[in-house]
Amino acid sequence: MADNVLEVKHIFKAYQGVQALRDVSLSVGRGEVHCLVGENGSGKSTLIKVIGGVVAPDRGEIVIGGRAHARLQAIEAIREGIQIIYQDLSLYPNLSVSENISLNQMIEKGVRLTTRKKMQALAAKGLEEIGETIDLDERVENLSIARKQIVAITRALTQGAKLIIMDEPTTAITRGEVEHLFSVISGLKARGISIVFVSHKLSEVFEIAESVTVLRDGNKVGDYPAAELDDAKLTFLMTGQSFTSSPYRFDETRRGEPPLLEVRGLTKTGQFTDISFSLWPGEILGIVGLVGSGRTEVALTLFGLNSRDAGTILMDGKPVDVKSPEEAAKLGIAYLPEDRLNQGLFVARAIGDNIVVTILKSLLSRLRLIDRPKRREVENRWIERLKIKTPTAAAAAFGLSGGNQQRVVLAKWLATEPRVFILDGPTVGIDISSKSNIHEIIRNLAEHGMAIVMISDEIPEVLRNCNRILVMRKGRIEREIRNVHEMTEERLFDVVTARRPEEVQ
Amino acid sequence: MVKRLLRRNETYLCFVVIAFCATVTAVNPAFFTLQNFFDLLHDSSGSAILAVGFLVILLSGGIDVSFPAVAIMGQYIAVKALIALHVSSLALALAISCGVGLVFGAVNAFFISFFNISTLIVTLGTSGLFYGAMLQVLGSAGVYASVLPNCFKVFGRTNVFQLKTLTGSSYGLSVFALVLAGVVILSWIILRRTLLGRVIYAMGGNMEAVRRSGVNIRAIQFFMYCYMGLLAGVMGVMSGSLIQYSDPTYIVDTELLPVLAGVMLGGASIMGGAGTITGTLLGMALIALLEKNLVLLGIPSYWDQFFVGVVLVVGVSVTHIQRRIRGRRQLSLLRE
Repeated sequence: MADNVLEVKHIFKAYQGVQALRDVSLSVGRGEVHCLVGENGSGKSTLIKVIGGVVAPDRGEIVIGGRAHARLQAIEAIREGIQIIYQDLSLYPNLSVSENISLNQMIEKGVRLTTRKKMQALAAKGLEEIGETIDLDERVENLSIARKQIVAITRALTQGAKLIIMDEPTTAITRGEVEHLFSVISGLKARGISIVFVSHKLSEVFEIAESVTVLRDGNKVGDYPAAELDDAKLTFLMTGQSFTSSPYRFDETRRGEPPLLEVRGLTKTGQFTDISFSLWPGEILGIVGLVGSGRTEVALTLFGLNSRDAGTILMDGKPVDVKSPEEAAKLGIAYLPEDRLNQGLFVARAIGDNIVVTILKSLLSRLRLIDRPKRREVENRWIERLKIKTPTAAAAAFGLSGGNQQRVVLAKWLATEPRVFILDGPTVGIDISSKSNIHEIIRNLAEHGMAIVMISDEIPEVLRNCNRILVMRKGRIEREIRNVHEMTEERLFDVVTARRPEEVQ
Repeated sequence: MVKRLLRRNETYLCFVVIAFCATVTAVNPAFFTLQNFFDLLHDSSGSAILAVGFLVILLSGGIDVSFPAVAIMGQYIAVKALIALHVSSLALALAISCGVGLVFGAVNAFFISFFNISTLIVTLGTSGLFYGAMLQVLGSAGVYASVLPNCFKVFGRTNVFQLKTLTGSSYGLSVFALVLAGVVILSWIILRRTLLGRVIYAMGGNMEAVRRSGVNIRAIQFFMYCYMGLLAGVMGVMSGSLIQYSDPTYIVDTELLPVLAGVMLGGASIMGGAGTITGTLLGMALIALLEKNLVLLGIPSYWDQFFVGVVLVVGVSVTHIQRRIRGRRQLSLLRE
């Protein structure tokens, strides 16, 4: 097919015995928006790197504009018009917008001398082509991520891109910015530039792509027109499993008992105001709200990491004063932070070390030394119970996938036998099958009487797993939703973003 | 325009330099004379040249602590060679000293680019290694003015023009100032007007992105470390000419702190990617003023290091706090 900008044929690639790609083919037409989807470890990144000439395939060929390459060099790929925008965007934070846009093409062309004016002219031309305006003298580190993306796209464009590959461009930007990005992509498409969009957010796939290629475990599952797919089908193709999505039911008769945790009039100036709610054992209470709504701040207060100006916290009907995480843990409150890598884990340490760190005291022998057999026993018990995929507890946590890392964080807190477990973004950055597995763990805990607070950005996650939802906005509880099963994603989304204020009342 | 100036670190540094000069003049009017400024320039041009080279490497995210060793080795080897050859040629002295610098720089660049070792460790290691070897081979005896080749003495005394004071004694602007001006202009062109310079800044910002852009990083590293070596070689000759004496134990212990302090005060980031030549020169000016004029304020000169240390710590803390405030302002903008 002469019309194809890129054809990848029968690519094989193995890393140290692990087959990352097995007989994968892909073709992208001129002006086509093509989506590449797959879970973590499905081979998406390897495939992109092969196309960009960064990784050499073991077998197979790459045909660009009719010319076949068995081995492509990175600089050749660029000259052939292939531009990859990695997730980190590869920008120079300390340089200006105009320098960022113009530097790489000057490198490519072998320019030696330059002036600020020349660079500005190049950048201005590029930005004009996609109809964007950004202060050319601003340093890139001062721009929002969405603006940085525009700079990266403009740079790709001015280097004569025929095909732009974007690696998960929407993970760090807001809904409105995603829409803007999509309009930029449509503009590129109209000019005959092809886009390969790598994503694992399903809703986006349907919105932007014409065709979808699904990878799983290094194999190609197939090519599909986006119109033929829906959420459930795509999930099935990506994971090879289908997931039940019945909402979580809470035995309402238990509300007759006194609540486990009660919060009354909790206030902290500038963060949240008059937060009151009760939590019963066996409940999964969802808290949703935009970033800045105060949801995480409330959670931190309950965990003793954020002081309060007013209000009371009661456990079992008795007022308690939670001033530190140690006190919270003693009261039976656990908190799983949103930032797993920095706050949840000692990434460089062994999985086992991470699990027992919260309960070291209970592992001390009579000589106040850590009882090794006992420690091993605890570590292995949790690895087994939460099905953490690792050959040994001594392996470092950073080698694990996001899902397994999160299971380690769960294990670490579950080891303290908490009664109230606050989960802040429990499945951020975790792929679908691990996600549903973590949801299962959470539901199971609730069914056994633990009270769960789930804070999340993902509306489907909250709807599917919570029996009650609090919507927070600007530091206040805006609304409590008791009939979760009657709620739809769209309506909850509108409530959270206050799109239709009249409905909120 | 004014707003832009007020946002720049250099503007504040300039105020500090002026304030310092004003204070010293108030206490001791002998300070504020053209002769004193010419002397200051004569004494400090060498350090300023080192600072410019140091800035280039700092910008790329690297660090080179071997320049004091390079400078003194270049000087001492050149002096010894000239004595052995019985010639007095400034060109030859410079060629030998710069040659030593280039070899040194190339060795640094080799280890840094081929083995990807931390630049601090490499330059610390090579400077100990070569300097130690030189002391072993050439000895450590100082060369006094009586034996020092004449070309050094002439170089140190040559003035661009001569003036006379009211009392009739003559003074002038040293040729060292011209050397410094040359180095500053050349470095400014490299940093501001060439792609190479932009890439050096980019390396300090995001090394991985530079790698992906397809540029030959190895070549740039060889250029930078050789350039530093070359400048250190020039400074070595200047230093020997200035004091009319060559002692292999000089420079090694005395130049690292003031150069590092001057460059950091000038607003360069130790993480790379930020800094200007103007800032570096101002920073060096402040350090030089401090070192040479505390005596005029009645403070004994052995307090020099102490004050340079104080200025370094305070100056860098202020820059850091400024950055943090700016960062916070941006964060609050984002929240809105």
